[in-house]
Amino acid sequence: MSVVFFVLPKDISAQRRYSKTYPAGQSVRLELINRSGTVTVEGWNRPEISITASLEAPLAVVQPQSLNDKIYINLIKDNAGRGDVGNVNFTIRVPYYIAVDIETRIGNLTVSNIRSSRVRAHISTEGDITLTNIVAEGVSAENLSGDIFFDGELRSGGFYRFSSMQGNINIRIPVPSSFKLVATAPSTRAIDLGSFAGGNMKAVGDGRRIVGVSGDGSASMQVTNQKGTISFVRR
Amino acid sequence: MDTELDEPRAALVREHLAACAGCAKICEELAEIVDVCKSGDPDDIVPPNSKAMWCRINNILESEIKPELLPKIEDTRRRIWRFTLPQLAAAMVTIALVSSLVTVVAIRNYMSAAADDFASRSAESQTMLERLMAKVGLGDSPQRARERRLAQQNAAIEYWDRRVQDRRAQWDARMRDAFDKNLNLVNDSVNEYTSILQQDPDDEITGEMLDSALDDKMSLLREFAEL
Repeated sequence: MSVVFFVLPKDISAQRRYSKTYPAGQSVRLELINRSGTVTVEGWNRPEISITASLEAPLAVVQPQSLNDKIYINLIKDNAGRGDVGNVNFTIRVPYYIAVDIETRIGNLTVSNIRSSRVRAHISTEGDITLTNIVAEGVSAENLSGDIFFDGELRSGGFYRFSSMQGNINIRIPVPSSFKLVATAPSTRAIDLGSFAGGNMKAVGDGRRIVGVSGDGSASMQVTNQKGTISFVRR
Repeated sequence: MDTELDEPRAALVREHLAACAGCAKICEELAEIVDVCKSGDPDDIVPPNSKAMWCRINNILESEIKPELLPKIEDTRRRIWRFTLPQLAAAMVTIALVSSLVTVVAIRNYMSAAADDFASRSAESQTMLERLMAKVGLGDSPQRARERRLAQQNAAIEYWDRRVQDRRAQWDARMRDAFDKNLNLVNDSVNEYTSILQQDPDDEITGEMLDSALDDKMSLLREFAEL
């Protein structure tokens, strides 16, 4: 079953607000592809998904779809062929246990208070990614320019990937945490492991990469920053 | 002979020797030996043909020893190759296990190497199996794999670039600026890594970074071609 909701521009010079709430089961997930604008996703302790969007002119078409197992919003598809589309700034509240997959071409992405199987945040070009209080088996954050901040816990068997072309990547996790690490910063060689330095961590490739194991290495973490820095902070 | 016995005992011995031929002969031989020893220096006593005597002694010794040793050697050899059924079964199981283990290790070695991005790896990180296969023409060297991967990536990049060129006129200025700025950023990295690899083709990290940067470029073009 699918529910389609249209927000059609009436006055392209005006800013509009859109909001909609969907019931959410245990296995539902959120999938959002934005063109430009900010996306903020917050976990809450309610079995429903609340979507609020602020649309800047020229107004975009927003057609969220509630499918069997996901809430799907694709502004690229919804506005295909339209060259001039204003920012859409989303604030979405979701049950804390659902998987979140969000991306945008330009703009900041923020996800907080999620404890689920997967969190993915992808920016095609520029924008900051802020992931706060995240506990998930799979976390992926990637952008080209902009900072990436991850604050959360690593799960045994989990995979964590952070990738940027230029910016700062900061990872805030508890000490001790168990993970295998491959951290690469080929241009700056600026990799600060903080409390995780020493022990089984070693620099390779003239300091461009640090590889090693913290704890029993039950999770895997790959951090790549082609022209920026990588820092680990104690949570 | 040595006059050590008292007279009554000596009389008894003489009486026995008179009646016993065997003991009489032994006594006679011993008496001769004692007489010879008493007659002069023992070093001067040389047998008539000493070499012939030692040769005979040697032959006698060999003939007595050989029949005892030879069967022992045969036994040892037989013991080496003679196994019981449980021993044979255990040996076969061991051989099967070892060969399976070696095969599994070789396959895993090959598969894990293939699972890594082979194109971004250097010759140094090649496994023995990969090197061997590359030598006999059954596999790629990292450089060849990288070249092939680069060709594939460049073909995809060209395709998406054409799509982008068709669409970019429709984008607003902000979208165009963001795209151009970030494409230049990626191109700078691609050029930098390409230059490093020309000087040091075995630089594994740079190979990986080039691969990653080209993937980023491809993704950027593809994602903006949809706009």
